[in-house]
Amino acid sequence: MGTRTVLPVAAALGVFLIAWKAVVVIGAYPVFILPAPEVVADRFIRAWVEGTIQPHLAGTLQEILLGFATGAGAALLVGYVLARSPLVERLISPYIVAAQATPILALSPLLVLWFGPGLLGKVVICALIVFFPVAVATMVGIRSVDKRLLELGRSLRANRRQVVLTLEIPAALPSILGGMRVGVTLAVVGAIVGEWAGADRGLGVLINLARGSLFDIPLLFATLLTIALVGMALYLVVVLLERRFVGAR
Amino acid sequence: MTPGARPAGGPGGATETGAIRATGLAVDFPLRRGGRLLALDQLNLEIAGGEIVALIGPNGSGKSTLLRAIAGLLPPLRGTVELDGVPITGPDPRIGLVFQEPRLLPWRTAAENICYPLELAGWDAERRRRRLAELLDLVRLDPSAVGSRPFELSGGTSQRVALARALALQPEVLLLDEPFSQLDALTRERFDLELLALWERSATTTVLVTHNIAEAILVADRVIVLSARPGRVVADIPVDLPRPRTLASLEDAFVTRAAREIRAWLGESSGEASAEAAVPDATVADTTVAGAA
Repeated sequence: MGTRTVLPVAAALGVFLIAWKAVVVIGAYPVFILPAPEVVADRFIRAWVEGTIQPHLAGTLQEILLGFATGAGAALLVGYVLARSPLVERLISPYIVAAQATPILALSPLLVLWFGPGLLGKVVICALIVFFPVAVATMVGIRSVDKRLLELGRSLRANRRQVVLTLEIPAALPSILGGMRVGVTLAVVGAIVGEWAGADRGLGVLINLARGSLFDIPLLFATLLTIALVGMALYLVVVLLERRFVGAR
Repeated sequence: MTPGARPAGGPGGATETGAIRATGLAVDFPLRRGGRLLALDQLNLEIAGGEIVALIGPNGSGKSTLLRAIAGLLPPLRGTVELDGVPITGPDPRIGLVFQEPRLLPWRTAAENICYPLELAGWDAERRRRRLAELLDLVRLDPSAVGSRPFELSGGTSQRVALARALALQPEVLLLDEPFSQLDALTRERFDLELLALWERSATTTVLVTHNIAEAILVADRVIVLSARPGRVVADIPVDLPRPRTLASLEDAFVTRAAREIRAWLGESSGEASAEAAVPDATVADTTVAGAA
């Protein structure tokens, strides 16, 4: 990134912070409604130095990574089968769509009841929320593989495994990674929602604590900032994977 | 391209391997809108090992379909296609195929595309590397291009890569489906001559589908004319031009006569089917999409 991209980004951030500060000053909001940016920044740093955030972040990251891996892994398999079998697609896609249409927020208490307030429940919630976008992207990607490339594979006597590994997956990769971009940010949502439904640690728990028993609104904002940064970092990882594997075609 | 360097018993003379025989061949395929289309019927054709022939015919005469039947990609409805006396039942490593478009894998470099058949066949990296060097030399591909992705290559270079890929497993038969039709006229002539040189150096039976009469005469031992759909052989015209051939060969008085004869056969076979000319040829996309449906 050269100065040409850094400058506008820094300028936009500056405008945002000034506007935030202006709202606080003009509205004369107390700190427990809307803390000023420098108050949040101060609390953010203090929370990290004191080690308030780290254990919660570790818990949430664990849920996100396990949930994403499970959900995306299952979605790749199911998406592939949906793309290649019209019968299976007709049979099970209504259920997948119905599951997706039910808000995860409404499902999470039930899932926590079934799978317990520990790690498993959160992983299931994360996996469910990640599943849909990745499955749909995989299905679309596999379906749109150029038929002529498949004929080439056939003429070279590629076996089933070789067709999947050397033709279908590379050809569908841009679409699959697009689904993962969406999925990875949703995984963050899934983890927080899961923690709200019952947990003893995690960034979602920290939000509840900051709002409730601690009544530390700057800490609540500092936690929100952490969650946003986690989402951005994970998104960036997928984008970098895309650059590495899809980059120039 | 050394004149007269052809090995005895090599191209031009019959060799033991790479002989193709189609007997009573009929091929059809399902249409997307339902029903089936009979592309070839009662087709008989014999190509000796090491021979180079051109297949020519009106649009929709099933030239591409015949090529795919020989390549084992389309099963015959009736009749047989044999390679060296044994019926072809599916894709065969002894047959190399060059498509109308280069059909390279866009996520692989030129070198990786050339080595793709070797990879599928389980060759180890060292063997692949050695074969790659031979192939680059064989198709006269600039070694500086091998690290490039397909989108960085010109049409001609891409088709050279596709040719190298088709030759990777040292096939006995090379099938080319209008391989140079997307190139400009000058590049195309150069590729025709290079194909001839390549054929003269190898002992590969070569079948070139074309709709260019001059190209057919320049390259082939025989020009085989197909009828309109359902395609069958209506004429088999030997090209008695000395080899090695050059563009000057096309100035021979024989060429005018042969071209007139081919054109007459083409006119005759497509006359009644001119209304059908709007129907696209049995292209890959059509057959495979319908086949997968």
